[in-house]
Amino acid sequence: MANARALDKRRKSIRNIKKITRTMELIATARFKKAMDRATSASDYTKRITAVVADLARAGLEVSHPLLEAPEETKSATLLVLTGNRGLCGGYNGNAIRLGVKTFEALSNDIENVSLEVSGKRGISGFNFREMSVAESFTNFDDQPLYAEVESIANRYLRAYAEGTLDRLDVTYTKFISVAKQEIVNETLLPLGKIEGAEASGDDSEASGRTSLYEFVPSAESILEEVVPTSFKIKLFKCFLDAAVSEQVARMVAMKSATENANDMIKMLSRTYNRARQSQITGEIMEVIGGVEALEG
Amino acid sequence: MAQIQLVIVTPEKTTLDQMVDAVTVTLFDGEAGFLPGHAPMIGRLGPGELRARVGSEESRYYVEGGNVQVEDNVVSVLTGQSMSVGEIDLAAAKAELEAAEAEPASNQALAEMKQKAIAQAQAKIRIASKS
Repeated sequence: MANARALDKRRKSIRNIKKITRTMELIATARFKKAMDRATSASDYTKRITAVVADLARAGLEVSHPLLEAPEETKSATLLVLTGNRGLCGGYNGNAIRLGVKTFEALSNDIENVSLEVSGKRGISGFNFREMSVAESFTNFDDQPLYAEVESIANRYLRAYAEGTLDRLDVTYTKFISVAKQEIVNETLLPLGKIEGAEASGDDSEASGRTSLYEFVPSAESILEEVVPTSFKIKLFKCFLDAAVSEQVARMVAMKSATENANDMIKMLSRTYNRARQSQITGEIMEVIGGVEALEG
Repeated sequence: MAQIQLVIVTPEKTTLDQMVDAVTVTLFDGEAGFLPGHAPMIGRLGPGELRARVGSEESRYYVEGGNVQVEDNVVSVLTGQSMSVGEIDLAAAKAELEAAEAEPASNQALAEMKQKAIAQAQAKIRIASKS
């Protein structure tokens, strides 16, 4: 039978671990709420931008922009993988890295010049471990990514796209669908393809029939020129926000199950400990009785 | 007295949502004012000042560009960055201006981006030093 004292020691250390995982779960919950609030307030902007694009489309404007059309030849591409700075969040980082590696290989087959960019310390070390060279890395994004920081990255991509040194941009990140469901996805952000709201004119012919009520200053085309790069930036920002929210959810879930496992383990150890203690006591009593009987006899 | 709703939205949050008497924004080519009951319009903003007047009080904001949409007595300003004038960091704005001037302008798209960055930094400095 195991030593009761050793069992007790183990049980104590598991109790301490449980305290830590429980606290981490609570922290992740608080962070998740904050990140979620940010993501919700960001969607307000997206909604309004979509409305503007729909209005532009309704005014009979042909929605076209260099960012929306694929270049004739795709020579160089960039893959951006969004991971977390910290671990202890279940499969969150691992899954993102795995899909990142897969996408990178698929891109490398078609395109000669593919560079890899990674956000998050976990991803950087993951790709280093796989001996893949990371062209650019960011560690400044935590649970609350700042628009200004994302914008500076977006501007760099836009510049490279304008220069012709970048023809395609893919982002691998964890898309937040609901608290119970997050999905690792790979999205092509450049060329943009289409912007939301642009098809609105096709859907309802009545709306496109009437002339727009809006007055465009200076012109619908000029406003479109402003809206298209913005919607690219917003899309990229949304990726960062989604990744941040998903990370917190993943950590919350991981820490919750860790706490539950610790509880189970404590229960089991307590049972073994009690049994060991009881048998020890029984043994001692037997010894005492044996001693007394020996004296009497 | 009739009022008009002013909403300033940035990708991060809704900076301002308030009923005001009058709004003045900086369009790409100059200022434009909106009073209650303005006709629907969509305009392109330039970097500059946004003034909102309630009674005799006027609050001033820096807006870096974007769009303004007027509809149903609501002025929505969609911009990448906006802050109240008191929050502008003059030293940082000057550093931004220098950084913008150092950028390359080898083709048309790049030149436009450079111009935009310079204009934004200049507008920030101009507004901050006015108060």
